[in-house]
Amino acid sequence: MAGLVPPGPTTVPAGESKKAEEKTDFMNLPCPIPFEELHREALMSLKPEAFEGLRFDFTKGLNQKFSLSHSVYMGPTEIPSQSAETIKIPTAHYEFGANFIDPNLMLIGRVLTDGRLNARVKWDLTDNLTVKANAQLSNEPHMSHGIVNFDYKGKDYRSQFQMGNAALFGASYIQSVTRHLSLGGEVFWAGQHRKSGIGYAARYETDKMVATGQVASTGVVALSYVQKVSEKVSLASDFMYNYITRDVTSSVGYDYILRQCRLRGKIDSNGCAAAYLEERLNMGLNFILSAEIDHRKKDYKFGFGLTVG
Amino acid sequence: MASRVSLKSKAKGGKGSKGLDEKSTAQCLKEWSTWALKKAKVVTHYGFIPLVIIIGMNSDPKPQLYQLLSPV
Repeated sequence: MAGLVPPGPTTVPAGESKKAEEKTDFMNLPCPIPFEELHREALMSLKPEAFEGLRFDFTKGLNQKFSLSHSVYMGPTEIPSQSAETIKIPTAHYEFGANFIDPNLMLIGRVLTDGRLNARVKWDLTDNLTVKANAQLSNEPHMSHGIVNFDYKGKDYRSQFQMGNAALFGASYIQSVTRHLSLGGEVFWAGQHRKSGIGYAARYETDKMVATGQVASTGVVALSYVQKVSEKVSLASDFMYNYITRDVTSSVGYDYILRQCRLRGKIDSNGCAAAYLEERLNMGLNFILSAEIDHRKKDYKFGFGLTVG
Repeated sequence: MASRVSLKSKAKGGKGSKGLDEKSTAQCLKEWSTWALKKAKVVTHYGFIPLVIIIGMNSDPKPQLYQLLSPV
């Protein structure tokens, strides 16, 4: 009887404080991720940058912020064709790049041997306002594109305004509704192509999983689900449906992040299986293998490469 | 009669020239903005990478010039 501790007032406050932790503070929600990165985890697993041929990248750092990159690529490049067959032309090019990465300003420029320039600028004007610009310029007339984005980050929302050439205007907004759920929408207007559209998106995220959904008036319905099985393994699945063209694609993939390598693989409902391996051979030396097999179109792409620095 | 006709034609001519003026300011603006965009495209195309290199070479710690060209 003496050993029994009667349930006293000491246990009740502990229970109450636990309840207070679980209740969400709606004034203090986390900032959501940017609207264009909504499907980030699913894209990382399911859409690795597959390439065909040889790729060699050498990045040389001159100081902490500034680096130059030299890149060689040799392999067949697909050109868009009217028939169902894929037409590939062997190409080889050398690309020179200069990167300047500062906490407030990021400048990345890449120029190819045929004169095409790929430029990216990201400038943090203040803590909350960011200007981003992306341009692909080429010597051929009417083949250049440029987009400028103005991003404003609020306490628990993000908004973006976009302007591009060919009279393209777009705006997007995403808001954290609870600690795990964020909802957003976007609207765009393309002047020259006479197209406009509106879309909505939702993202539910916990420590172990991420589920996203997106619907747009261009006919796209995209759902994705990523489960983080452990620190090293995550599995992803994706469903895309176009209600205007009645096109359906579904894919399942995995992403293994191990100590020396990163292996990603996916299989598609279009009969396409892909895998991408990045192996760290040594400090700063990475070996890359990429394979994409499309059984339906009978298109087989295998690539290998080396990245230094 | 002739004076009335001439007045009418003058008025028409007046209106017409005002209309032409309005059209030409809007068109001028369009032409200038297209010209400015074209020049900006050429300047960006040739000048972006040199700009990044100049900004990088002037950042701290200042790298040496030979480091730009040597592969080490």
